[in-house]
Amino acid sequence: MTVPAYAELAVTTNFSFLRGASHPKDLVERAAELGLDGIGIADRNSLAGVVRAHETWKKLEPDTPLKLLIGARLVFRDGTPDILAYPKDRKAYARLCRLLTIGKLRAPKGECFLDLADLEEKNRRGLLLIVIPPANPEEAKPVLAFLGRDTWLAASMLYTGEDRRRLRTLKQVARTACVPLIAVNDVLYHNPGERDLQDVVTCIREHMGLHEAGRLLEANAERHLKTPEEMARLFRQSPEAIEETLRFAGVIRFSLSELGQRYPREPVPRGKTPDGHLRDLTEEGLKRRYPKGVPDKVLELAEKELRFIAEKRIAHYFLTVHDIVQFARNKNILCQGRGSAANSVVCYALHVTSVDPMEIDVLFERFLNTERSEPPDIDVDFEHERREEVIQYVYRRYGKRRAALTATVICYRPRSAIREVGKVFGLSEDVTGKLADTVWGHHGDDISDAQVRQGEQDPHNAIVKRAVGFAKRLLGFPRHLSQHVGGFVLTRDKLDWTVPIGPAAMEDRFFIEWDKDDLDTLKIMKVDVLALGMLTCIRKAFALIRAHENVAEEKLTLAMEPTDPTVYEMLCKADAVGVFQVESRAQMNMLPRLQPRKLYDLVVEVAIVRPGPIQGGMVHPYLKRRKQKRENPDTVFGIPKPDKRFDQNELMPVLEKTLGIPLFQEQAMKMAIVAAQFTPDEANGLRRAMATFRHMGTIGSFEQKFIGGMTRRGYELGFAEACFEQIKGFGSYGFPESHAASFALLVYVSAWIKKYHPAAFAAALLNSQPMGFYAPAEIVRCARDNGKVNVLPPDAAYSDWDCTIERDEKGRLCLRLGLRQIDSFSEAEAQTVMHERGFGYRDFADFVRRTGLSKRALVILAEADALRGFGLDRREGLWAVRRLPDDKPLPLFARLSAPEQGLEQIAPLPQMPLSEHVLTDYQTIRLSLKAYPTQFLRSRFDEEGFVSCQSVGAFADGDFVRCAGIVLVRQRPGEGTAIFITLSDETGICNVVVWERTFARFRKEVMGARLLLVEGKVQKSPEGVIHLMAERMTDRSADLRLLSGDALPPVAPTHRHPRNVRVLPPSRDFH
Amino acid sequence: MALWLPRLSTDRLTRLIVSPDRAALAKTPLVVAGRANNALYVYALNKAAVRAGIYHGQPLANARAMIQTLKIVPADEKRDAELLEGIADWCDRFTPLVALDSPQGLLLDITGVTHLFGGEEAMLSLARAKIAAQGFAVQGAIADTCLAARALARHANGTVAPPDENARMLAPLPVAALDCNEDIMRALRRAGLKTIAQVAERGRAELASRFGGGFVTRLDVMLGRHEKPLAPRRPLPDFRAEQRFAEPVITKDVIAASLHTLATSLSGMLEREDQVLRHLEAFFFRANGKVERIAIRTGAPLRDPAVMLRLLDERLDALAGPLDPGFGFDVIRLEASLTEKNEIVTASFDDNENSRWQIAFLVDRLAARFGEHRVQRFVAQDTHIPEAQSATIPAQERDFTGTWMRRRKDDDPPLRPLRLLERPEEISAPLFMAQEGAPRRFRWRKADFHVVRAEGPERIAMEWWKKDGLTRDYFRIETDQGLRFWLYRDGLHREAGLHSRWYLQGIFA
Repeated sequence: MTVPAYAELAVTTNFSFLRGASHPKDLVERAAELGLDGIGIADRNSLAGVVRAHETWKKLEPDTPLKLLIGARLVFRDGTPDILAYPKDRKAYARLCRLLTIGKLRAPKGECFLDLADLEEKNRRGLLLIVIPPANPEEAKPVLAFLGRDTWLAASMLYTGEDRRRLRTLKQVARTACVPLIAVNDVLYHNPGERDLQDVVTCIREHMGLHEAGRLLEANAERHLKTPEEMARLFRQSPEAIEETLRFAGVIRFSLSELGQRYPREPVPRGKTPDGHLRDLTEEGLKRRYPKGVPDKVLELAEKELRFIAEKRIAHYFLTVHDIVQFARNKNILCQGRGSAANSVVCYALHVTSVDPMEIDVLFERFLNTERSEPPDIDVDFEHERREEVIQYVYRRYGKRRAALTATVICYRPRSAIREVGKVFGLSEDVTGKLADTVWGHHGDDISDAQVRQGEQDPHNAIVKRAVGFAKRLLGFPRHLSQHVGGFVLTRDKLDWTVPIGPAAMEDRFFIEWDKDDLDTLKIMKVDVLALGMLTCIRKAFALIRAHENVAEEKLTLAMEPTDPTVYEMLCKADAVGVFQVESRAQMNMLPRLQPRKLYDLVVEVAIVRPGPIQGGMVHPYLKRRKQKRENPDTVFGIPKPDKRFDQNELMPVLEKTLGIPLFQEQAMKMAIVAAQFTPDEANGLRRAMATFRHMGTIGSFEQKFIGGMTRRGYELGFAEACFEQIKGFGSYGFPESHAASFALLVYVSAWIKKYHPAAFAAALLNSQPMGFYAPAEIVRCARDNGKVNVLPPDAAYSDWDCTIERDEKGRLCLRLGLRQIDSFSEAEAQTVMHERGFGYRDFADFVRRTGLSKRALVILAEADALRGFGLDRREGLWAVRRLPDDKPLPLFARLSAPEQGLEQIAPLPQMPLSEHVLTDYQTIRLSLKAYPTQFLRSRFDEEGFVSCQSVGAFADGDFVRCAGIVLVRQRPGEGTAIFITLSDETGICNVVVWERTFARFRKEVMGARLLLVEGKVQKSPEGVIHLMAERMTDRSADLRLLSGDALPPVAPTHRHPRNVRVLPPSRDFH
Repeated sequence: MALWLPRLSTDRLTRLIVSPDRAALAKTPLVVAGRANNALYVYALNKAAVRAGIYHGQPLANARAMIQTLKIVPADEKRDAELLEGIADWCDRFTPLVALDSPQGLLLDITGVTHLFGGEEAMLSLARAKIAAQGFAVQGAIADTCLAARALARHANGTVAPPDENARMLAPLPVAALDCNEDIMRALRRAGLKTIAQVAERGRAELASRFGGGFVTRLDVMLGRHEKPLAPRRPLPDFRAEQRFAEPVITKDVIAASLHTLATSLSGMLEREDQVLRHLEAFFFRANGKVERIAIRTGAPLRDPAVMLRLLDERLDALAGPLDPGFGFDVIRLEASLTEKNEIVTASFDDNENSRWQIAFLVDRLAARFGEHRVQRFVAQDTHIPEAQSATIPAQERDFTGTWMRRRKDDDPPLRPLRLLERPEEISAPLFMAQEGAPRRFRWRKADFHVVRAEGPERIAMEWWKKDGLTRDYFRIETDQGLRFWLYRDGLHREAGLHSRWYLQGIFA
């Protein structure tokens, strides 16, 4: 008897969202394990999962006869039974992509509307179709007749009780329609054990609890991959259906390896080649960059790059980037290239990047690798508020069928997983909410018992345990596709011949079904059009300075020369709130230790507080050496050396600039090449292996090779291990030197503005929100305290929507907060206020009549105490607004003739206490210029023996203190073992460090408290960095209620970005 | 007089406990949890819980976080309402004019009755003491107007406002005592007006332009310038027909004739309003004061007087003893206590449709005779597990969903038998058998059967989230005697090994 052979052609992965219960990778691996001859991936109207299947299969391919078929399961809206479609060749594949695109463009985001009529001859040529018969197989007849040739009828044996009876009918139907019968198992998961997970995702999909889902769930666990023997046994009545699967697979010649990009041709001046044109542009650019003559080193590098670009025939790609950047510059949109592109002289010459190759070593290999046939990757940041213009430009230039955004696969994270699984198990939302809230941020890949306990649930409670168990299994499952922030794929041919395109949620945006890893796998180039808030902020700050400060334009260009010592002086004092990249607590701690004095120091500063150097244990050695160097500039530091057989100074060129300590990703890669004898290609493979989770399996071999390679050549084992740890750290947050260099310049520019134009800086920051780490309150406080800026409250009589600069009676610059600071006040309403203002409003009645604002808007203004310009304080304002008639749609012009209410003489209202004013300020504009909430509690705190934030610094190292303050920011740097909390009170701020172990005990307090009491020891570093090392913490948020007669609702932990966290909840007085 | 039972819900629960434990229970924080927007919140709480810092409206999860030992009971608003009704009934002893002030209060019109209880103060103390003795927290006050009394009861417990002095007594109360909507309360608070006095001092025009005339009227009512009559406690049914007899009637014929008249006139009323009834009540008031009450629920909407009479007859016949008129009934009344809009049903020529109505009527008659819960019907349950696929509910119940499994095609044989055994019965089948086949012969209830035909298996896995169970493989089999059974093997080979047990679960008709 022959050994049975079988190919499974109906496989649904978890990219058929909430239907399949296994990753494509697991399915392909399992298929190989079971000895199948082929596996056909066919997701629901989608090709989103096929690249991952292809990638897995590529790895297995040398050792397995398994053939991978790429297809889709067409699901129709007109009642046609499902049809599996497999393209025979590249052309048919293009037709399939086009078909899915047509369906997607008809439907809203995430859906696909197909009709049987779409499968007309010209669309389906070369597609092999398998019809999945409906409950009554007879109904498949007209479909089979319509489809004609290249059609199969699927049969499955799924233990329905009448499998054989049904098989007989199917045979008949197939015979009358003259199509072959083909066996499938309609697989939903790779292993029978996944049935429960499949039930759970079905429930999530149907928004049902397990107990109500009933027969929506599968009756049994049979829809898994089965061995050829088992399939042959099930189909013993029709062995021909099993044989047919092999014939089917045999016809298909298409593989995803055949895809490859056909990059669009950029227009080139007549008579020039693209390479020649690029060369001309580069030479021109270099002349502009180096007016005093281009250095030889740069020329040499440029020549090398151009040669390489010509050889790889990617000049068009550079011309595209150049064109986009050119467009932005013409429109005055700030932009800057970053990432590996900053390693390129050509990019510098084309003004894509601003890192001078003379100052930063460009690492050509990092940018363009001669050995790897991978496409280069140029990321360009644009002002975040104007990026849309650039995106629409790209669409206009290339057309919607040749340009589309990359997708991002949104996966289940602990919070979303526990929420949805909890619902399935009937846990109420307050329970799942509590569980979800103990997860820090949106990321993370585990839910620990400790977290469950912190969520006030018993991890051993059967239901909770079960829900958490399933939530864990669901982690990493794709949930839906979303558009990538700005990765564009461009093609010369129609893009929807390569991959289906669908509409995004935003109007006029389209994205493909693959994410950037998929594109990397298939070696397709993309251009990243990214958004950077700081660029917006810088442009706005410059605009304000030009408009209000009488500053000579030459002075502004100084901002671009990173040489001013006073700017560095400010940074060394860790006065960095709002400054790009170095405003986080970890960075602020580093600044006084690192003492940056020149641009390169900022490059180091930006790169050093990252998981790479931290995990590699490189931070402290580096700081120590810097200190020595500061004290004795002539110190020469040793570098790690191999044994005598090799060049003792082989690492010198790699490590020289960073005092012999590897800090950057580029250095780690070079060390892999120099010290561990990797080929450049291998080194890059190592970097890529680290960068994505799904390659985790291959790390072991790299580790051996790396550490083995170094120790064999005589390096110390400890050093080699530390280096490898560092590389692992780079993996999740790669932060190369070139990237840091691009950012360092922005650090300097933003610090320069902060130093010399604090009012404009604060205004620009506030006007660019949301961005950065800090809440408006802290930005304003910093401007007042450090910048000595006079800050004026938002006022309907004077404020614009944006924060502005104005001069007070004495001609001093003041920052006037804008109406945008007022919660719930809309921009449209603010525009009306500005538009109608003219030369000012006479009084409140005049304001009301002319603006015609809704009563709701007026209440919001009064509540925010923004009517003082009309002589009404908060109470009077509210009382006055209350008197106005309710909003009703007045007929046209009726507003003008509406009778004015007579003047009213009323007795004064009771004075609002200052504490209540402050409280309400926080509730409406999230900050108060009148006082600080804690000062009203000070006497109470004094009685209890709490010290103020500022006085913590007056204690000696090791003293035990108790300090209470408002929680400004909580941060947990990437892989750090400590949590930073910034407390503030009326005297200043206090930096608290909570170690992981303490955090575990006080998680609720740390996550939930608005007013926090911290008890612990003072720690002072020689550089003057003061920390309070928390030992115990108490949530004192309830004390805030004392500020007002009205009880505030208690604090529920909310985990939004720290800058969005409110000190006080919004008042519920409106909405 | 206004009475307020702030802890009605928790007191109701505490009262259920025998006294020694009650004292202990009083010390345990107890909350009643209500549900709003799919989240639980504190609906009511006892004193101990208040002391622990829990407050009304707090999210339950937060409350639980504050006190690990918190006792939580789900809210039962219906029971609370019933209890309040009961207390209102009990208050009849003070005055016949008792009004509910839901959810937790009562209003008693005590004009002209106070002297019976030794004056207002004494009467208030008596009422509070008596209710407190029943285990309820209670607050009370007496004033000229309902609103004033209510405000005082809630915010100045025990006050007896002297005549015409409402305003003085109310002055120091917080604005919350005005009991107006949140929006107004907040506006007042924001304006810094914290007591009723501060509000009352301001000009009426100033207040009216901000809070509307209603607010000013309310304020004035409270301060004793207007009065509204008490609302009656029980709403009168919309449809009722009553016949009073000059002479009490005894004979069956007269009673029957009277019912006929009443049913016809009730039917007429319903027709005019285009209503149908679902709940019919008949009251027979005996001359000596006793009242006989008969209630009938109907499954089918009802308006036809003949049908009403037949249902009444069924019920009267089914009573243990015949309706005892004693010295005769002086009043007979029919009430439609639950009605709904008439859904127009087009008369159908279809026999099926007509027989459906006949079945509904039969069900109503049977239910009237034997009781609502004695007549049950099967409804489909949505599950794969055969024995759980049907459940029974009272036949008159109309709100049920669920569809029965359908046959794929009309001429398909039934996949499952109509009737299942009470519980599957184990059969002895040969120990070792080919994988996934049906047995060739087996023994059930001491008889041997030879299988000649078999179809299957239908594989049904148990609902893993309920309890663990083995997967079953079901077979339809036919024996040499032509009997058809539904068998299953409990457990797949990989679950149960080769020695799985076999069961017979149903018999095909």
